[in-house]
Amino acid sequence: MTISRIAASWLAALAAVFSLGAAAVGLDIKMATTTSTDNSGLLHYLLPKYEAKCHCKVRYTAVGTGNAIKLGENGDVDMIMVHARAAEDKFVAEGHGVNRRDLMYNDFVIVGPHSDPAHIRGMKDLQAALKKLKSSNATFVSRGDDSGTNKKELGLWKEAGVDPNGPNYLSIGQGMGQTLTVTSEKQGYTLTDRATYATYKDKTGLEIMVEGSKNLLNPYGVIAVNPKKYPGVNYTGAMHFIDWLTSHEGQQVIASYQPKGAQLFFPDYRKK
Amino acid sequence: MTGPLVLLEGVGKRFGARVLFDIERLRIDEGRSYVITGPNGSGKTTLLRMLAGLEGAERGRFVFRGSPVGFAPHFPERLRRSIAYVHQHPYLFHTSLRHNMEYGLRCRGVAPEERRARAEEAIAWSGLRARRAVPPQDLSGGEKQRAALARVRALRPDLILLDEPTSNLDREGREQTLALLAQLRDERRTVIVACHDQEVIALEGVARLHLEGGRIR
Amino acid sequence: MNLLEPTRRAFELLLQGDPRLLEAIWLSLWTSIVAIALVAPPSVALGFLLAKRKFPGQRTLVVLVQALLSFPTVVIGLLIYLLLSRRGPLGFMELLFTPSAIISGYMMIALPILVVFTISAVQGADPRVYETARCLGAGRTRASATTLWEVRFGVLAAVVNGFGRVVSEVGCAIMVGGNIEGLTRNIPTAIALETSKGDFPQGIALGMVLMAVALGVNIALALLQGRGGLR
Repeated sequence: MTISRIAASWLAALAAVFSLGAAAVGLDIKMATTTSTDNSGLLHYLLPKYEAKCHCKVRYTAVGTGNAIKLGENGDVDMIMVHARAAEDKFVAEGHGVNRRDLMYNDFVIVGPHSDPAHIRGMKDLQAALKKLKSSNATFVSRGDDSGTNKKELGLWKEAGVDPNGPNYLSIGQGMGQTLTVTSEKQGYTLTDRATYATYKDKTGLEIMVEGSKNLLNPYGVIAVNPKKYPGVNYTGAMHFIDWLTSHEGQQVIASYQPKGAQLFFPDYRKK
Repeated sequence: MTGPLVLLEGVGKRFGARVLFDIERLRIDEGRSYVITGPNGSGKTTLLRMLAGLEGAERGRFVFRGSPVGFAPHFPERLRRSIAYVHQHPYLFHTSLRHNMEYGLRCRGVAPEERRARAEEAIAWSGLRARRAVPPQDLSGGEKQRAALARVRALRPDLILLDEPTSNLDREGREQTLALLAQLRDERRTVIVACHDQEVIALEGVARLHLEGGRIR
Repeated sequence: MNLLEPTRRAFELLLQGDPRLLEAIWLSLWTSIVAIALVAPPSVALGFLLAKRKFPGQRTLVVLVQALLSFPTVVIGLLIYLLLSRRGPLGFMELLFTPSAIISGYMMIALPILVVFTISAVQGADPRVYETARCLGAGRTRASATTLWEVRFGVLAAVVNGFGRVVSEVGCAIMVGGNIEGLTRNIPTAIALETSKGDFPQGIALGMVLMAVALGVNIALALLQGRGGLR
């Protein structure tokens, strides 16, 4: 008798905890995004401005682009904000997402230590710089996490016709911030988005080596998860947020994020 | 007088190949005190534990108040309320003296006021009033034995089984325990004491049983 | 690297009650406490049964639970992720990336610890306890409860150890919680993040809180055991 009573109240407590958990995020917008939007501080700047308007919460998890797309495919988030155009198009084509929109862009730079052992500082020819990095046996740290930056980096090596793999190529499987930290500790080189680099510049002492090439542009897109595929997702909330991001106001907010006086992201939405 | 309280017939118990005892007949009458003597390892403790439903037997008949009873593990739950066994070194719960006294009463669903009154009476009977604030596990051996006696007496069971209650006690502890045993006898409780303490054996008005070579004499 | 400056900043953050810091601390504490409170009763009961009752497959079960002790928490994280993902069998409950997901992970991590500690506490119990309770008229359930109460400090140690393990756990919490600020970012995942961002004062401050919690809980346990007269 007493045992079954105890068991019953235990089950009730269990159910309460788990239903509370679901209710806690009922009206929130869940977003998977890349580490760069988080580490650069953009989301901290931007989200409160939107949340004050919608009286809702945007809950984001910052992972690599590949992982973020996976979360969208599984319907575990309501929308994604990523930067890997080819993978984004595939995501939409396969029916996982709808209403892809260009959001903004920043650019990639190759950074390295002050001593610049590979002597690539200031080179204008990106492919020549990569070849020189390889031939000088300088340490190169790669995200190695299937993120947008990682995909970009691998694409650049391919375009330059260089196989980067070797003892001096470190694939660490971590976010941008951690990668910059490791690069600094190893006194090596890495490819980074300018926004994250800006916030890590003082902490790591890394310097820009190569920048400005057309190939180094880094466009971000936002995509809502397809509600036909996952009826449970908060499609309305996600589209409301996406509409705001691509509105005149949202784009202005992105442009106005200028930590240490330098603009990091350039709004990019054009109505088609 | 009605029939015996307990009747054992043809009860056998062995450990492996060794026959521990083979009791043809043992009769316990209500309202009397018994002392079982016998050399170490003769099975006194096992016999008491069998009667308390803590130990099984291979064969034999166990009759309580005229109705047959199964040996452990088929020992009936209701008999646990009638038969109380006290270990040679009694265990007191690490709570409080009063909680120990109330424990069995609580199991029997005795109302709180009565429970408290009977627990207080038990503490008084044990002579441990002055020691009631001491954690039970910190009491001396003699004090623990007295507390354990009072704890089972408060339950007013039909049969009390005591295993070597005076062993390993100092002079004072033995005398006090002996006095309580005499009181139980005078109150005409049914008690079986396994023992080889001469002073206990010499108590007046106590029936003496001897267990040796597996047989009761 | 200068260690003094970030440490000084860490104390500042703590004393100012930095809201992000407090959120992570609060989340760590309440999810751990709720998880332990939920998982303790069944684990202690299971531990008691495994210690006291003999039944077929009992030894196998004990070995299995002991093996679970050294189960990597990230594997538990993966398991729960697969269960709770919208594509998974429990996806309809929409629990992934919520505190409830973290709690369920904590429960699975704490379960073997609680069971194994309870087993050894109960096995260490005096066999006279159960017999005494039975002889005084207690039924099996009450006698079992009495035995557990007599070894309450051992059981409490089990609970404290379980708590210590989950409150400092990072792998599972980051996988099923998603490290979402203000919702599922707790002390250990925040430390991992802040270190990766090179923001050491936050990490140091949170690390100090975590150590204080661990120390406080263990001191409380030691005091209780002292008062219980256990040597």
